Amino acid sequence: MTAIWKRDVHSFFHSPLGFVYLAAFFAIMNLYFFATCVMSQSSDLSAVFANMLVVLMFLMPLMTMRLFSEEYRQGTDRLLLTAPVSVWEIVLAKFLSAMTVIAAAMVGTIPWLIVIVIFGTPAWPSIIGTYVALLCASAVFAAIGAFLSALTESQLIAAVLSFAVFLGIYILDMLQYSLDSELLTTLFNWLSIYSRYSTFTSGIFSLGNLVYFLTLTALFLYFTVRAVERRRH
Amino acid sequence: MIQVEHLVKRYGETCAVRDISFRVRDGEVIGFLGPNGAGKTTTMNILTGCLEATSGDVRIGGKHLEEDPLGIRRMVGYLPEQPPLYPDMTVAEYLTFVYALKKYKAPDSREAYLAKICGMAGLSEVTGRLIRNLSKGYRQRVGLAGALIGDPKVLILDEPTVGLDPKQIIEIRELIRELGKERTVILSSHILPEVQSICDRVLVINEGQIVADGTPRELSERMSGTPQLELTIEGDPAEVQTVLRAVPGVSQVEQVRQEGAKALYRVTSESDVRHAVFDALSQGSFAILSMKQLELSLEDIFLKLTDHAPEQAAERTKPSKKKKKRRLFGAKKHKEVDSDDSDLEA
Repeated sequence: MTAIWKRDVHSFFHSPLGFVYLAAFFAIMNLYFFATCVMSQSSDLSAVFANMLVVLMFLMPLMTMRLFSEEYRQGTDRLLLTAPVSVWEIVLAKFLSAMTVIAAAMVGTIPWLIVIVIFGTPAWPSIIGTYVALLCASAVFAAIGAFLSALTESQLIAAVLSFAVFLGIYILDMLQYSLDSELLTTLFNWLSIYSRYSTFTSGIFSLGNLVYFLTLTALFLYFTVRAVERRRH
Repeated sequence: MIQVEHLVKRYGETCAVRDISFRVRDGEVIGFLGPNGAGKTTTMNILTGCLEATSGDVRIGGKHLEEDPLGIRRMVGYLPEQPPLYPDMTVAEYLTFVYALKKYKAPDSREAYLAKICGMAGLSEVTGRLIRNLSKGYRQRVGLAGALIGDPKVLILDEPTVGLDPKQIIEIRELIRELGKERTVILSSHILPEVQSICDRVLVINEGQIVADGTPRELSERMSGTPQLELTIEGDPAEVQTVLRAVPGVSQVEQVRQEGAKALYRVTSESDVRHAVFDALSQGSFAILSMKQLELSLEDIFLKLTDHAPEQAAERTKPSKKKKKRRLFGAKKHKEVDSDDSDLEA
């Protein structure tokens, strides 16, 4: 399992894609940070983190699209499937490689904390909670992206499907404000990744939300395993 | 070593493998021979665990495929038709990855083990190069080296020589022959001489069934029907034909085409009549410009084999199937010509 994880991370950081990807992420996020914190002299990072998930929503499909589609196209899935590893190990390794990139992106935001420590008073509980929430929410996205990539040989289709799903979740989130039905509003609110995530960025640590993220991640990883196994039939 | 019983693989309506059973003894080199789409790759994919069979039983080294898939995968090295390579890795990186992926512990150090594998596959000089930049022949070797890692007792090679140049084909064949001394090898091919030169035993597969099983020698004896000669002869066609027909053993003489004073003839006979034909023509002072013994093409062999097994043919006499079969062979013919051109050894 570590072999597959290592290979994926290695190939991501040894391709131009990896650098362009992280560069784009840092450029956008630092712009946000500059606009909301530095310019307005605020030590409140919540607005930056709230936007970070939306940025990730756009960048995530470009990373997860290659997880399985590329293996199918190159025929290297045969190598993985005939090696003495289980499909669960393959899926977990791929998922963790995506999470490693996310973690690397987050490590890149540490300079913000240094700036805030020097020039203001950071709200540590809220910041730590937000990092945890960010990891968990992006885990959901990574798992969904991995699942969609496991369905198709085309990276483009995987990316477009992921965009559609992530945007769909986002739109559902906005729908809850314009709906009359009490039931639907509650349902959408309960399902919404973004509203659960914004609970964290506003400084409230909720175990229920964390469990929700982790359950959703596990569910989609299970679907991914089934999708990869289906290719055996 | 390998026992396959009543293997069936269906994709929806189409049946890729219909009831294949065979056994492979320890250390045997066996060849799957058949046209594209015959079910060779499907069978290999099932044996290696890439694909699940619809029904049937596979045992390798005494272990059942369903009961101990991971144990079987440790015993089997697989080289698919398209080698499973990552173009963005160097050869050394790739082999290190495969080594870790197979969770193999070499008796000596990893570096020494991989160097040994590279030496066997003839890769020592390209270890630092990106796989993307390697030629088809080298890629095939990298794939083979990957399959060799972990010292599998069984090697399964799907069309290992397709797309290689004649020199590379000879080298890969020699390597396989060498590997077959200590291992059980299954390889597939649609080139008859290749299978004949490497394998101890040949399984001819057509439309998902085994239509013949035997040593190359048994098979060619069974297949060698009426030999045919192709001759270019200078002289009056009518006279030449009379002389040829008079040769004892000749059953049929056919003039294929004529160019000026010389003409091309096809002679069918019951036995080898080359000597007699030469004597007869030289007595009549007709110059033989060329004489060639026609070998049976794969297509002829298949037609023959299906003739030999009328009960199997009877099962598939639906008109739609027939049509499909023709097209299959038609498409095959082009490929056959290509591979024969590049095949010096043949």
